Amino acid sequence: MKNIEKRHIIDSNNLSGEFYFTSIVQEGYAYGLLNDSDIEDIKLQCLKLLSNKSELYNGGESSSIRIEAAESIMKSNLYTIGVYLKSLPDADFAVSELKMVSIPEMYQKGRALISGKVHSAKHIYKMAKANRLINLNYTYNATLDDNGLGIFFKLYNPDYEAHEVPASIDYQLCNPITDLTGIEFIHKYLENLFLENEFCSYFNDDNIDHILCGYDEGYKDLLINIFEQVLTVALGCMLANSMVVKLDISEEKIRRLYNNLSKEDDYLLALKICEANEKILQELNISSLSLRRYIERSLPKITSNIVHAVKTNTLGKTIVSPSNPDLKPKIQFLSGVKMDDGKYRKFIEELLICRYSSDKLALIKEKVKSFGDIEDLLFDAQLSEEEITSVLGMLGDVEIAELIRRHPLKSDIQAVDLSEVEQALRLFLISYIDQLTADRQDHIFEILNHLIDD
Amino acid sequence: MSFEIMSISSVLIQKQAVAELEKCNDFTTQFRLTLSQRDAVELVETRTLALKSNGRIEFGGGVIEKIIREFCNSPYLSMHNYAETLHDLTDMFYYYKNETLELMSDDDLIKFMKKSFDGLCQGSLELLSGRELANMARNLRFGYTPEYLEGLACGEEDEDEEY
Repeated sequence: MKNIEKRHIIDSNNLSGEFYFTSIVQEGYAYGLLNDSDIEDIKLQCLKLLSNKSELYNGGESSSIRIEAAESIMKSNLYTIGVYLKSLPDADFAVSELKMVSIPEMYQKGRALISGKVHSAKHIYKMAKANRLINLNYTYNATLDDNGLGIFFKLYNPDYEAHEVPASIDYQLCNPITDLTGIEFIHKYLENLFLENEFCSYFNDDNIDHILCGYDEGYKDLLINIFEQVLTVALGCMLANSMVVKLDISEEKIRRLYNNLSKEDDYLLALKICEANEKILQELNISSLSLRRYIERSLPKITSNIVHAVKTNTLGKTIVSPSNPDLKPKIQFLSGVKMDDGKYRKFIEELLICRYSSDKLALIKEKVKSFGDIEDLLFDAQLSEEEITSVLGMLGDVEIAELIRRHPLKSDIQAVDLSEVEQALRLFLISYIDQLTADRQDHIFEILNHLIDD
Repeated sequence: MSFEIMSISSVLIQKQAVAELEKCNDFTTQFRLTLSQRDAVELVETRTLALKSNGRIEFGGGVIEKIIREFCNSPYLSMHNYAETLHDLTDMFYYYKNETLELMSDDDLIKFMKKSFDGLCQGSLELLSGRELANMARNLRFGYTPEYLEGLACGEEDEDEEY
């Protein structure tokens, strides 16, 4: 008899989290809990509240207000009342409250709740900043900074724009918040971000950095969720019997894991992932109930990613093995000493009066001793495509790779800002590389990966 | 079911506004100016249209009452142009409320209109709208006092005349 639940007339699943007030009034009317006169009364009270708020907004100096401003105030009022109605035990109770309590009174209660939520969100923000990861990901850091989430607490206006989220939030959570707005959104976002940080804090920052590098070396510029990557690799480690805390799973182990998992059907695979998750929680000794729930909520998404990766034989892209960029071989390119400006000017003048391409090439071979000069003359010597191709032909793979590094092969749109000569050089470089054999191209790009900045 | 402002505001507000305008007759009779009920209804309609076309909304009686109280002692108003002038002034008021970026309060704007109407414009609504209010709005938008350019323009004209 303990499990008897009260039956509700209004299905809370039909209610919108973002527009709670409007949806509850609509549902109440649809189920006959509110009649026409109740609706009329609610509307008139809302209008009166809007009128009072508009007067305050204008500071008593203007009797009229721009429609956009009035609409925003109306939305803010309804949002605030919605916050209060959400705090009630259930939707049926909220509808009866709508009939019994006046709109201004509900607004005041909602306003007090919003103040409390702002206070609480500030506290969670401090906690999320305190347990933040040391990580290079730009969006993660920018969102947690004072100019990202922090700006919300300076710009949020609960009196007239309670429903707005004046913050710069680019970092995507593993469980995105889609049905909330205003302070409720920020509160939930911060809660989730704090939990994600808390989970990641069980691992070493360097290990996290290595798995993100394994995912993509340029991860610092990507819009990725760090928690999702960490949890996925942790699950992979557990399934492959590797050390979860170290997040260290080799490519060989991933291959073997794929062989094991590909024999299972989807259901068994999901079951295995669930079991692995339980083991991770035990191994890491995660006792926080909220964190355990958050991880469980994230599992379906990660499970579906793993199932899809197993089906498409791309498990290595989903469960990534760590890569330490510091251990990779590096090539430092030294371009040699350039000739002095006077000599260079004379050389270019001489080159410009050469009639035949063969003379130009002979002159270049004879006089140019450094990569820097080659690079300069490609811009200054007004060479034709054929001549440039011949000059490029004189260069070795390392020099070509360095040239690509200095003049990356961008798309047409990205190249719009470049000068005409620069655009032409890049085009000739692309067509030169295209005509090389596939092996040589691979070799050049391999060298390019190892080249480091001067 | 809609909670959009325009759909829930109109009828009740209009009735209230007509009643408030009719009450103004008690005050304006001393200047031999009165509004019939029809005039009052039409003025409220003008106000509604002006608000709509200027993208604004107003609660309660609104500014027509304030305009009446300010303008009723104007020497350029008589019974034959009273209602018509009020229509134009109402239109003008909401237009310049937006044009001044709401930097001027209702009372100050009406006072400026009255001062210009009785003074420089000598009862001309065209001059009031096309010159005085337009200059004042431009001054406010550029961060000057309402009369700033007016004085400078006069000075320039004088200088031109001297040469």
